[in-house]
Amino acid sequence: MFDSLRAIIKDNLIWRRQVNHLALFELRKKSRGAVLGWAWFFIKPATYIFCFWFALDVGLKAGSTNPSDSPYIVWLSAGILPWFFMQEMLGTGANVFKRYSYLVTKIKFPLPVISMIYTKAMMLIEVCLIGVLCLALVLTGCDVDIYLLQVPLLLVMLMFFWDTFSIMVSPMSALSKDFHNLLIACSTPLFWLSGILFDVKSLPFDWMQTVLYFNPCTFFTVAFRDAFYDKVWFWDDPALLGGFIAVAVAQIIVMCLTTHRFEKEVPDAL
Amino acid sequence: MPSDMHAQSTRSNQQRCDSAKMDHRAVVPPVIVFDHVTKTYRLYKSDRGRFFGLFRFENRDLIGTIRANKDLSFTISRGESVALLGHNGAGKSTALKIVTGVTYPESGTVEVRGRVSALLELTAGFDGQLTGRENIRLRGLTIGLSHDEIEGMEADIVSFAELGVYIDQPMRTYSSGMKARLGFAFAVAIEPEILVIDEALAVGDTSFQKKCIARIHEIMSDRNVTVLFVTHTSKLARELCSRGIVLDHGANVFDGPIKQAIAFYDDLETQS
Repeated sequence: MFDSLRAIIKDNLIWRRQVNHLALFELRKKSRGAVLGWAWFFIKPATYIFCFWFALDVGLKAGSTNPSDSPYIVWLSAGILPWFFMQEMLGTGANVFKRYSYLVTKIKFPLPVISMIYTKAMMLIEVCLIGVLCLALVLTGCDVDIYLLQVPLLLVMLMFFWDTFSIMVSPMSALSKDFHNLLIACSTPLFWLSGILFDVKSLPFDWMQTVLYFNPCTFFTVAFRDAFYDKVWFWDDPALLGGFIAVAVAQIIVMCLTTHRFEKEVPDAL
Repeated sequence: MPSDMHAQSTRSNQQRCDSAKMDHRAVVPPVIVFDHVTKTYRLYKSDRGRFFGLFRFENRDLIGTIRANKDLSFTISRGESVALLGHNGAGKSTALKIVTGVTYPESGTVEVRGRVSALLELTAGFDGQLTGRENIRLRGLTIGLSHDEIEGMEADIVSFAELGVYIDQPMRTYSSGMKARLGFAFAVAIEPEILVIDEALAVGDTSFQKKCIARIHEIMSDRNVTVLFVTHTSKLARELCSRGIVLDHGANVFDGPIKQAIAFYDDLETQS
């Protein structure tokens, strides 16, 4: 198992230059063919956030019980922005061998590195979106304080956790369409049940909160809100951090096992 | 008497030449070594069967196994040009894929030393949204070339592919021949140490095909470049290669000078 982990880390270090270039090309490909090009990376999330803000804050008055000085849209954005990244990783990120099949079957390219191409491309968009949120905070006179320092750390954790996830599930998705369909089917329930649109900390039963803390989507949503809205350090809640670490360690173990077991099968299956 | 002496001298020259070739193979370090390589493909009735087969469950959907390469061994030295000959399904393309590192042997070991450029599927990896020039850059960066290296060879690729103003148009607007020409131009421009060609010379029109073959000759004139060529066309194999390996049902059944290899392959064809 440690050999697999060592090989994955080593390959990612050796091939990082190619990965960076390919990640930029991924974004270029995504933006090509549209007049507004790169703007679509921001228009889509902005539309999403506007719709939820209008429905929840204006329509359902969900922000009226807001005890914080920050507006409801900050609470909403802090939870929903990491979701955009996670949604991409649950969809295309979970099936990268199909997207980059030429790297699997035509060019010698280490398979565990392919996930990082898509992860880095999506992370670049995520960093820009978080940057826009920070700028909006400054322009609207909201508190820009020391708690925002945990945001870069959270972005790094977000990237590595979901890259590990992609390495773990991509061989299975390549070998079984059912498996990939299952992951896509999980995307919508995860959105509604992970606390993106409600406050996990104010759930009526403690056990519900404990169970949700083992959901990595909940972890990132709560942690980003801790930084942008609640103004606490995410590691101050040991249950939240402990649940995430347990899932992350389990995921790394399964990633090593699936890589070791399926790495040589994938090119033949594709 | 002088004519006998001349014949003797020619024979001894020939022997010296043959032994020089043998010495060359003995002295020049091998760049490709196949040591008892076996590669098996499992065939399943359905995708469901294939999935469960991965977990080694008892599987009724397994309909058979194909030994694409069977205990295959050969060594190719630097600068050699070798043709892999054989019927369809003899295991030639699998052997080439193993050389390029995109598939793995089930047992045995494979050593490949040097930068491999493969003319397998010339248009694979090109993106229709990007222009031809951007695709050159993308492909170059994928294989680890620096920006300077790519810039240095870009003009040669553009000129060889004869795409004119189309080079800055999205590749979705290209015909299949134009895409293949760009793919070939890139593959031969990167100064490979090992050039792998899988019946990819049917590119574009006749004049372009001639140009491709001339370019391969030019590459082969560099004694450090090794060429591995798969073809059914005996004439082309004779023109490009000095050695032939005949595969039959995944096994190496003949390995020797190209003329004898072609004769052996032709006999095999006649028998089958």
